[in-house]
Amino acid sequence: MNSNKQQHRVLTLLYLAPTALILLVFIIIPIIYTLYLSFFDWNLIAPTKNFVGWRNYLTIFTDPVNQKVLLNTLGYIGLLLVLNFVIPYVISIIVQFFIHKMQGVYKIIFFIPSLFSLVVGAMVFAWIMNPVSGPIALFLRQIGFTLPNWTNSGGLAIVMLCLITNWKVFGYNFVLLLTGLGSIPQNLIDAAQVDHIPKWRLIWDVVLPLNKSMAFYVLILTIVQGLQYVFTPINVITQGGPYYGSSNVLYHTYLNAFVLYKTGNASALAILTFVIFLILLFLEIKFVEGRDADAPI
Amino acid sequence: MRPFKANGWHLLLLVICLALILPVLFMVANSFKTLQDSYHTMWQLIPLHPTLKNYQTLSRQVALLRLIWNTFFMATLVTLGKLSTGLLAAYAFQYFHFRGKKWVYFAFVATIFIPFTVTMIPNYLVIAKANLLNTALGVALPQLCDATGIMIFLKAMAKIPRSLIESAYLDQIPTHRLLMNIIIPILRPSIISIGAIFFINSWNEYVWPTLILKDKSSFTLPLALQNYISSEGGTNFPLAMALATIMIIVPLVIYMVFQRYILNSISNSGLK
Repeated sequence: MNSNKQQHRVLTLLYLAPTALILLVFIIIPIIYTLYLSFFDWNLIAPTKNFVGWRNYLTIFTDPVNQKVLLNTLGYIGLLLVLNFVIPYVISIIVQFFIHKMQGVYKIIFFIPSLFSLVVGAMVFAWIMNPVSGPIALFLRQIGFTLPNWTNSGGLAIVMLCLITNWKVFGYNFVLLLTGLGSIPQNLIDAAQVDHIPKWRLIWDVVLPLNKSMAFYVLILTIVQGLQYVFTPINVITQGGPYYGSSNVLYHTYLNAFVLYKTGNASALAILTFVIFLILLFLEIKFVEGRDADAPI
Repeated sequence: MRPFKANGWHLLLLVICLALILPVLFMVANSFKTLQDSYHTMWQLIPLHPTLKNYQTLSRQVALLRLIWNTFFMATLVTLGKLSTGLLAAYAFQYFHFRGKKWVYFAFVATIFIPFTVTMIPNYLVIAKANLLNTALGVALPQLCDATGIMIFLKAMAKIPRSLIESAYLDQIPTHRLLMNIIIPILRPSIISIGAIFFINSWNEYVWPTLILKDKSSFTLPLALQNYISSEGGTNFPLAMALATIMIIVPLVIYMVFQRYILNSISNSGLK
C-alpha cells in the first residue's frame, strides 16, 4: 500500500512535469525577472544594470509619450469593446432568436476570417483603405468625396487598426456568445412566448441575465486578447505612428524593449499591463468561474 | 409581416458575411492580376486576364518551399508539444490526487490572462543564450504547453465513465497504457479539434517569431509577408496578395475538413 502511494506520487510528478517545467521556466520566472528589471536602468546588452528604484514607474505616468500611449490604450479598449463585444453580441442574439433558418451557415461563414493571420488582414485592409490608390478611396473620389488620410491621424489609425482585429475576432466571439445563448433552457423561452411577452422584454429580462457569465467571459477576453491582437496590425501598418498616435501599452512595451533598448521602461510597462490583466482575471473568477456545478475539478 | 421582418435580418447578416469574406476574395482575385490590371480593375472579382506572373515573381524572390516548410515544421512542433503536455497534465488533474491541485490548476488557467509583454524580454534572453535564435525550436520552446488544451481535455475526460477507469486499475493496467490505449482513443475528437486549432494559430503566429527569427532563411510565412508590405512590396499589392493566398490555403483546408470539430471546441473552450 505504501509503495503504491509512493508510486502514485512519482507518477503525478511525472505527468505534471512537462507542463510545470515550461510554466516555471517560460512564464513564472520570466515574470519575476521582468519585475526585477523594472527597477533598473538597462539597455538589454550592457553588462551592468543601474538600480533606479521606482523611477521607471514614475516615468510611465509623467512622461508625455507614455501618457499618450496610456490614453490610446483606453481608446483601444473602448473601441474593441464596441466592435468585438457589443456588435457580435447583438448579432448573436439576432441569429439565435430572430431568425429560424441558416443559423449554421452564418456560424460557418462568420468564423472564416478567424482562420487567417492578422498579417494577411493588415495587408488586405492597407490595400482596401489606402487613402490614395485603394478601391474605397477611388470609389469615394468618383462620387465626390475624399477618404481622409488615416495614417496621418492617430485617432483614425486606431479606428482602422481596431476594424482589422474586428475582422478576425468577430466570428470567434460570435460563436462563443451564440453557444452561451444556445444553452439557455428552451422552456423559459417557450413560457415567455406563451405569455405573449414582447421579444425585447424576453431578451432584456431573461436572456441577458441568464447569459451574463458567458458575456462577461467574452468581454474580458475582448480586452485581454484584443489589446494583444491589435499589436500585429500596428506593427505591420503604422508602427505606432504618427508620433505614437496609434501605439498602445503593449506595442510601446515592445518598442521600448527591442527598438529603443530601454529595458527598464519596457519592464515597468509590462508589469503595469500584467497587474491590470490580473485584476481582470480576478473579476473573471468572481463572475464567471464556478458557475458550473460540474466544474472539472 | 413576420417573413418580411426575418428577411430584413437575413439581409443584415448577408451584409456582414460579405464584409468579412469579400476582402479575402478580392485578395485572391488580385493575386492573379498584373500590377496594372489590379489598379485599373480592382473591383473585378474574376480577373480579365488571369496570370500567374505574381506567383512566378514570388518564387524567384523568396524560397517559397523553404518558407512553407519552416512554417509547417514550427506549427507541427508547437501542436505536438501542446497536445502531449496537455494530455499528460489533464490526466494528472483528472485521475491523481495531490495536495494543492486546485492552486496548480488555477495557475495554468491564469496563464491565459498573461500579456506576452511580461514574459518576452526574459524569454528572448533565454532563447538567445541557449543559441536558439533563428530556429523553430526557439519559437516553439516557450509555448509547448497551453491551458486551453488542458481545459478541453479535462472536460472530455470527465465524461469517461468512472467504472471504465476503475476496472482498468483493478486489472493493474499501468497508467501509461491506460492513457495510450483507452483514454486517447476516446478523446480522439477533442484531440483532433484542439490540435487543428493549435496548428492554425501557430501557422499564423507573428509576434513572438518576429523576435526570434531574424535570419531570412528561418522566416515563416507571416514574417515573409510582413517583409513584402513594409519594404520590397510597399505598393506591389498583387505580389503580397499572392503570398497571402498561399498562406491561407492550409488553414482553409483544415477548416473544410474539421469544421464541425473546430467550431465545437471553440464553443467548449468558452463554457468552462
